[in-house]
Amino acid sequence: MTSADTVVSAKQSLVARIAARAGGGVARVALVLIGLFWLMPTAGLLLSSLRDPADVDISGWWKVFSDPGQLTFSGYDKLLSNQQITDSLWTTLAITLPATLLVVVIGALAGYAFAWMDFPGRDWWFLLVVGLLVVPVQVALVPVAKLFGEVGIFQTTTGVVLFHTAFGLPFAIFLLRNFFAEIPRELLEAARLDGAGELRLFLRVVMPLGGPAIASLGIFQFLWVWNDMLVALIFADSGNPPITVALQQQVRQFGNNIDILGPGAFVSMVIPLAVFFAFQRQFVAGVMAGAVK
Amino acid sequence: MSTATAGGAATPGRAPSVPPAETRDRKKKKSVLGTRPWLAAVFLLPALALLGALVVYPICYSVYRSFFDASGNGFVGLDNYQEMFSDDATKTAIKNNIIWLILAPTVSTALGLIFAVLTERIRWATAFKLIVFMPMAISMLAAGIIFRLVYEQDPDKGVANAMWVSVHDSFTESPPFPGAHPRPDAGLTESSGGAYTTEATAKPGSPASIPLVAAKRDDIGGAQTAKKAAPEAGKVTGTVWFDFTRGGRGGRGVIDKGEKAMADLKIEAVKDGRVVAKTTTAADGTFALPATADGAQLRLPAWNFSEPYNGVDWLGPSLVTPAIIGSYVWIWAGFAMVLIAAGLAGVPRELLEAARMDGASEWQVFRRITVPLLAPVLSVVVVTLMINVMKIFDLVYIIAPGPSQDDANVLALQLFQSSFGTNVNQGLGSAIAVLLLLLVLPVMFLNIRRIRRESRR
Amino acid sequence: MHTSLRTKRSTRAAVALLSVGALMLTAAGCGGDDGDTAGGSPPPVTVKLPSLKGQKLQVTAVWTGTEQENFTKVLKEFEKRTGATVSFVPSGDDMSAFVGSKIAGGAPPDVAMVGQVGVLREFAQKGWAKPVDAATEAQLKKNFAKGWRDLGAWKGTQYGVYFKASNKSLVWYNTSAFDYAGAKEPKTWKDFLAQAQLVSDSGTDAISVGGQDGWTLTDWFENVYLSQAGPEKYDQLAQHKIKWTDPSVTKALTTLAELWGTKGLLAGGRDGALHTAFPDSVSKTFANAAEPEAGMVFEGDFVAANVADAGAELDGDAKVFPFPAVGAKPPVVTGGDAAVALKRSKASQALLTFLASPDAAHIWAGAGGFISANKSLDLSAYPNAPLRDIAKALISAGNDFRFDMSDQAPASFGGKPAQGEWKALQDFLKNPRNVTGIQRRLEADAAKAYQN
Repeated sequence: MTSADTVVSAKQSLVARIAARAGGGVARVALVLIGLFWLMPTAGLLLSSLRDPADVDISGWWKVFSDPGQLTFSGYDKLLSNQQITDSLWTTLAITLPATLLVVVIGALAGYAFAWMDFPGRDWWFLLVVGLLVVPVQVALVPVAKLFGEVGIFQTTTGVVLFHTAFGLPFAIFLLRNFFAEIPRELLEAARLDGAGELRLFLRVVMPLGGPAIASLGIFQFLWVWNDMLVALIFADSGNPPITVALQQQVRQFGNNIDILGPGAFVSMVIPLAVFFAFQRQFVAGVMAGAVK
Repeated sequence: MSTATAGGAATPGRAPSVPPAETRDRKKKKSVLGTRPWLAAVFLLPALALLGALVVYPICYSVYRSFFDASGNGFVGLDNYQEMFSDDATKTAIKNNIIWLILAPTVSTALGLIFAVLTERIRWATAFKLIVFMPMAISMLAAGIIFRLVYEQDPDKGVANAMWVSVHDSFTESPPFPGAHPRPDAGLTESSGGAYTTEATAKPGSPASIPLVAAKRDDIGGAQTAKKAAPEAGKVTGTVWFDFTRGGRGGRGVIDKGEKAMADLKIEAVKDGRVVAKTTTAADGTFALPATADGAQLRLPAWNFSEPYNGVDWLGPSLVTPAIIGSYVWIWAGFAMVLIAAGLAGVPRELLEAARMDGASEWQVFRRITVPLLAPVLSVVVVTLMINVMKIFDLVYIIAPGPSQDDANVLALQLFQSSFGTNVNQGLGSAIAVLLLLLVLPVMFLNIRRIRRESRR
Repeated sequence: MHTSLRTKRSTRAAVALLSVGALMLTAAGCGGDDGDTAGGSPPPVTVKLPSLKGQKLQVTAVWTGTEQENFTKVLKEFEKRTGATVSFVPSGDDMSAFVGSKIAGGAPPDVAMVGQVGVLREFAQKGWAKPVDAATEAQLKKNFAKGWRDLGAWKGTQYGVYFKASNKSLVWYNTSAFDYAGAKEPKTWKDFLAQAQLVSDSGTDAISVGGQDGWTLTDWFENVYLSQAGPEKYDQLAQHKIKWTDPSVTKALTTLAELWGTKGLLAGGRDGALHTAFPDSVSKTFANAAEPEAGMVFEGDFVAANVADAGAELDGDAKVFPFPAVGAKPPVVTGGDAAVALKRSKASQALLTFLASPDAAHIWAGAGGFISANKSLDLSAYPNAPLRDIAKALISAGNDFRFDMSDQAPASFGGKPAQGEWKALQDFLKNPRNVTGIQRRLEADAAKAYQN
């Protein structure tokens, strides 16, 4: 840690001590303030998206507190009547669901193999896969574009799905292999003695037991793919792009297209936020397990 | 959220919801099912095929391609690498990546640590954590759009500058006529800093006239009409007024009918560089100074005209990188907080209590016990963020405005530019890709070592 | 991204020309239809297009919003006549990167609408752009002045069709500020300075300059230079046949310094101007319509869109006058978007032919927000007199207009932030006394970029 950090921490623990003595009052106030501070950027976008672009151009979003009459849903009306945007939400879904499913299935198969099957060089293969965790996607853009071009899946949803699946796999295999490896050996042996085959063992014992890890992985991958812009920018069908790219096309230097961008960014956030709030526990678990990604 | 197991955080290599204790020393190297390599191959095939084609192959391709020129036909050896390190854009990118690498992970981790400690014993902390963690769930694109709004230059629009300016302005008194100034031929000279001094010296009995222009409409709107100051024995008098008539018709330096007075201006009489008397103009623009001002030059201090403070140019060339790092911290501090909070939950209470009993101060406990115990978590957080920061792209791509884009450049963006932009040079682009890979390589080895250690336990 | 700033400005005109029209409507004292309701007359059929039943075509441009809608109308007509299916894809601001990434996968859009001559030439040089066919060539010969055709050519081969033109010699002003100061629309540079001084004295900073975006500064220079030094010199400088250290450049910069170097004329001072992006320069002038931060702003017809964004009313709060004459004649600097085929196919060639014909221009012209350099276009297609006047002036200028000089230069000189002409003129704005120093810098950078 740098000395700057320790100073910060020093202050912090001082605060904590005083806080402890004063019944945590100061810490509480600080937390409320920090919380508000953290909410502010998002709240700013939300309120901006609910104002007329002409108002946005002359004053900040905080104006609505003194003049609530400015609030209007016209931006959202306009956005949702924009075919390109609504279509793009479906495209996002059409990319995200298969990419999530594929990663879970393929990752689970490989994770199981790495955890419970014997083959030469198993650990080395596993380490190689884990090593791929850190490869930046940008490295693959040009070569894969050429490859997809030759195969004929450049600019298709299939291409995007495959790309996301490939880059989701190292994490998936890493996470699931470690989880599967913790399954009590007795359980598997018992099933084995009952005459279960490899596939049956995988489907009936390992997958159900792996539920929590699979949930974490699924949510993580879902959010990652849903929120991706770069991969889709290159590989998705530009005539029918996912929401992030559709919005990116609207980010113009001249004139703030805030009337589309504000509501659009918010609409694009609704699903991930819903998923996040519904499955926060699994998400956090995934984050912690995947702290190497 | 805070209930995720401590073990999971301290040893992130492990799936978190597994009961930690009993699994520790289990030996799981051997298969239950006997050796069936062909079946293993079937299970592994889809994964390895995809990884091979879309991750491993591109790496090999990039390495290979980086030795060829832009067209891809001529072998150029290491020329691309040489060019990479001499090209200005790439040099800026490397420099910025280093700034990112130093600032972003440490600040995020420090904040995460603070938040984790703050929330430790507070019941409703979950709500706070949710708020701080929430940005993790939204796209970089949305975050980019959000922060474009935050960093708007105009303090009336961008919240960052609005706050900055209101803090700044609460310490200063607002001047009466920002932006006003005399005409060049009005007999006043501008001194450094924006004050205006009369060329002539003041004499009691002959009133001075100080004509100014460019008073803002708002500031002059309700002013009285200017009055010619009456000569007063033993006093230096004069008038400051807004020497402007619509269409430029009035006489210059003359108080035409209807021209407005400029009130509340500070006026100083200066002799040999020393202020000998001071006053303020009245509502009709007149002022009077005591006899000590005889023979002095009249000065209108710069304060009278100082423009309102306009805040910081967040996305200008010099601050754009720190500003974007700020938005990154906004997203990732929650991540650090959650991991550290989980680690904190695993710190044995008895140890802390014992230290406190021994008379250690809270700070000492924190510094000597908590932090060392947290060290593994902290290092995991920092390393994770470092890998992540190395690849930073979307935020810069979206937030940095065109004119500052070159100043905000990072390697991933430069790689994107040289792969697809106007000056496409895939040879150079591939060299940058290889550089990026080389930079993440050490981290990869660290990870692998940690994982192997863990699996041996 | 950092290469394509220039594209954006010429494409911003959602309501732009439409409103220029509306705005000049009253000035011209001519009543009549509102721009958006006109254009109902069916387009003429002057060009024969092949049947393309079942073929698919993808077209890209930076256009969004109203511009996209209007361009889609043009494409619809093409679909109707040929039976092809055309889809429009906004490229985002960074056209080069967009096309480049699609080319990497071997699937570029069929046709791109390119906003910069430099990019067009680059596409041609890389072999991305495909030459036009005989039918398009014939339409071009018939409908366009040589000046416009040449802009779409590279090394003697025709690649581009300038479908949409724009006028970059306009000064927009806030009527309330002018009225308060008692200022009048100037015709000459000298009068321009006098009126600016008047506005400044009245308490409103005279002119808002978006100096953070270097291209607005190059446009300032180009207008002054074209009017002062004349078209021949302009061409020579554009091709770097005369040096930037030429006395004519000295004179133009000195003239510009009369404006940039005078206290109170630039909104926020020189420093403020350097920190103002183009959209902000417009909103400074019009966002607070009654008491603006600046009285005037200079730029092309696309400013109208930003005026509308700022919530100001065209013709009420905002009016426009032509860039004042610095020399004998007022300058006409233009920009435009050229259609370029990126695939060699019958369908993309047919679309180019169509875009070169008056039939296509008729449709967008009727919808407003558009002027065309197509001389075969019946001027009655424009929804109102002022638009018609701008178009007429453009066409009667024949080859006398000049295309944006920095757009013709190599991107590293005329089209990139923090380098070349953009940076040099920003430094000049910072210190308008340093004429010779800036000229030396410009020449050094130009020599490097043009490699001559």
